Amino acid sequence: MKETKTKPTTITAVDVCKRFGSVTALDRVTFDVKSGELFFLLGPSGCGKTTMLRILAGLESADSGTISFNGQDISLLPPHRRGAPMVFQNYALWPHLPVNDNVAFGLVERRIPKEEIRTRVADVLRRVGLEGLGGRMPGQLSGGQQQRVVLARALVLNPAIILLDEPLSNLDARLRNEMREEIEKLHRETDITFVYVTHDQAESLSLADRMAVMRAGRIEAIGTPVDLYHRPPGLFCADFLGESNLIDGTVAGKEVALLKVRTQIGVLLSTYSGGGALPADGSAVKCMVRPENLRRTDAQGVNSFEAGVAGLRLNGSTITVVLETGGLRMKALILSEYSPDIKPGMRARWQVDPGNTVAIAR
Amino acid sequence: MRFKPYFVMGLILAFLVAFLLWPLAYVFKNSVMDKQGFTLLYLRSLFSDPAQLEAIGTSLTIAVLVTVVSLCIALPMAWVVARRSFPGRSLVSWVVMVPLILPPFVGAVGMKVLFARSGALSTLLMNLGLAGGPVDWLGTWPLLGVVVMESLHLFPVLYLNLIAAFANIDPSLEEAASNLGSSPWRVFRRVAMPLAGPGLVAGSILVFIWSFTELGTPLVFGVRHVLPVMIYDKVSEISTNPIGYAQVVLVLLVAGMGFWISKRATRGRGGVATLGRMSVAGQERPLSWRGVLLAYILIGLVVVVAVLPHLSVMMVAVSKRWFLTVLPEGFTLEFFRRAIGSELTQTALRNSLVLAVGATALDAVAGFAIAWLCVRKRLAGSDWLDTLAMIPLAVPGLVIAFGYLGCFASGPFKDTMLDPRFNPMLILAISYAIRRLPYMVRSAHAGLEQTSPVYEEAASNLGASPFRVMRRITLPLIAANLLAGGILCFAFSMLEVSDSLILAQTERFYPITKAIYTLMDQLESGTNIAAALGVWAMALLAAAMLWASSLLGKRMGQMFRAG
Repeated sequence: MKETKTKPTTITAVDVCKRFGSVTALDRVTFDVKSGELFFLLGPSGCGKTTMLRILAGLESADSGTISFNGQDISLLPPHRRGAPMVFQNYALWPHLPVNDNVAFGLVERRIPKEEIRTRVADVLRRVGLEGLGGRMPGQLSGGQQQRVVLARALVLNPAIILLDEPLSNLDARLRNEMREEIEKLHRETDITFVYVTHDQAESLSLADRMAVMRAGRIEAIGTPVDLYHRPPGLFCADFLGESNLIDGTVAGKEVALLKVRTQIGVLLSTYSGGGALPADGSAVKCMVRPENLRRTDAQGVNSFEAGVAGLRLNGSTITVVLETGGLRMKALILSEYSPDIKPGMRARWQVDPGNTVAIAR
Repeated sequence: MRFKPYFVMGLILAFLVAFLLWPLAYVFKNSVMDKQGFTLLYLRSLFSDPAQLEAIGTSLTIAVLVTVVSLCIALPMAWVVARRSFPGRSLVSWVVMVPLILPPFVGAVGMKVLFARSGALSTLLMNLGLAGGPVDWLGTWPLLGVVVMESLHLFPVLYLNLIAAFANIDPSLEEAASNLGSSPWRVFRRVAMPLAGPGLVAGSILVFIWSFTELGTPLVFGVRHVLPVMIYDKVSEISTNPIGYAQVVLVLLVAGMGFWISKRATRGRGGVATLGRMSVAGQERPLSWRGVLLAYILIGLVVVVAVLPHLSVMMVAVSKRWFLTVLPEGFTLEFFRRAIGSELTQTALRNSLVLAVGATALDAVAGFAIAWLCVRKRLAGSDWLDTLAMIPLAVPGLVIAFGYLGCFASGPFKDTMLDPRFNPMLILAISYAIRRLPYMVRSAHAGLEQTSPVYEEAASNLGASPFRVMRRITLPLIAANLLAGGILCFAFSMLEVSDSLILAQTERFYPITKAIYTLMDQLESGTNIAAALGVWAMALLAAAMLWASSLLGKRMGQMFRAG
């Protein structure tokens, strides 16, 4: 293929379906990625996120639906003409080629003059901190270095799109942070459009501009990390992203824009997360309260309840308090200290803001 | 995009149908059809004619004896090497390969001199006073030479199969048995043998088929009342006497049945013998010093006996006179010179080189393509293609050669490039290629399976077209496998016996093997020259094996494995 001038590129997937035998891997998946965006496909293993990424790269073909780059349908374009380099989970560095040749591979395919290839490879290796390692064979590099070669191999093409398939999953904690910063920096300094696949919700929340949460071949929700975390549109998001307390209740009226939800721990004033009209009185909902939004109180205010302390667990910077009230177990998160004034066995009153109490339709 | 793989598949299928299935079908048809139409007369006559029955009986006897003798040598050796550690163990697997480098019919040339009435062994016994007069070994027991030679040649095949079978058994299974109270002998009998059973069956059957269909060795020893030799004798009357077809079909049926049994025995193995990850903890127990001594003596004995054919061939090749003495009297290098100096041998060497190169090239292309279609493309029907490509393992060269002669020496291909009576070169190259195709498919298969497709995906993701992916990534990554498969194809093609004897009918087109066979019948020092040529062949095969195994490492053994 020829090298084309890089320009900011949008990605659109419409109604993409894919079956493997009797298993539905993707069921009418639709999303779009803005140019220069760091977009995440997040979900548990087997949810179809990697299949979706491979379809974007053209390594797998969709049964139906379309993929467009910059509004142009590329569904039938073979992988080598898509210009969307991928960072593979298991590196996929060719073991028979030294680092230099691995990185130069795509440039050779684009018929770039030898001299230019040499300078561009040297540049990109410097950029990812691998200066002077070009002569090594991939087997002589550490896992972190290999992962950076894979990134360099994609970057050297000045691509408009980079696809990342669980790029951090094979790295230890320290390398993971280094690599994450590398990706953040790239995102800040270039207008490359990234599609990033992971099962790690923390990675996704901290890095993504926007993300799609997937489950069993379908997209559950698309939005910014803040929206999806604090206003999850469905129970799956509430449960999958971070920790949550989910309390059964029924709608018992409205107060301005808030819902009054009758639950086992009293009436909770809740924000409604679904779009459209508020649910009718009597409909069943669950109220989501994030553990970190629960705080001790002495007064009997709005959304407050009393609970027994069943146990404490030290996480490091925080302490998880296990609460029990009338057979309902909940978790609260407090900042860590040597001798917290909460002891197992005591009873205490807790409160949560209506803005942090989210009613989700059941 | 979909069209091209199917196109490749169609080409290969056409090749296999034309040069494998059609000749087989032709042989079948001619065994049950004559001018009057369908008849079982010829097949039935195999079992009513006493001479035919005797030949079948002799062939079966040879095959059973060879299998039993090979088993007696290979089983204890494989067990000790697989499960006990002793100094020099890694050497054994190398030494065991030595018999494979000698084409058995060349070894037979030397053995014949060794076992002759006036030969070294007989003389040795007389000198030691153990025998009153010359002992006529081969006259008294005509099958002795054939059985000894073929057993010595084939036990490594069984050994490699057994080693693999034992290696596949998780040592912790045996540890569990001894932990629950089994003595070492009972562990062997109740755990190891049942688990290694499929490998044992597969290897034994391979040896059985191989010795049942061997043409060169009985021919050299002058044992003419065996099926392969009788078939060979029928070649000249192929168009008039359908009994040859019936004999070929019988051979094919026995071989096919053996292959089927071994497929059944090996089906569904693995999984049973290994529990998830192999435990590393199961260290082989070291042998006691008495055990080491015993192992050395036994293995040493086997090795000495196994290299006897090699030694005798070499002796014959350099001896001026070897008659009624233990060792030759007088040595000369003259035969080596004459072995590559005469017109017959020079033409034969050139022919063999051309044929082997051609067959190897054909195999490299077809073998890689088949493996690629099966492993990477997984097209509908590619499994069938794979099975089809493995059929030559069960089809003796004899059968293929006979079929080619029937198919291409008459009918529409008469007097074309494919007619062996007109010019056998093309059809010889094809027959070599068909016979060795399974090795190439296996090598390429192994290479592709060990190479994750993600390397190819990455290349295509970075802009390489399918053709460029193959050239820059796939081929370099599996080059070692292809080369190893190619070396084996080449070496075995150089030394192919039955196809060469049957298909090459004019001296101008003789390959080495037929030249060696022809030389042996020449009076004045023909045997010596034949032996010298055999030594050249041995050296070639040894070099090829060493090279291939240095490329393949431990996987070399897989080449000779059944199932």
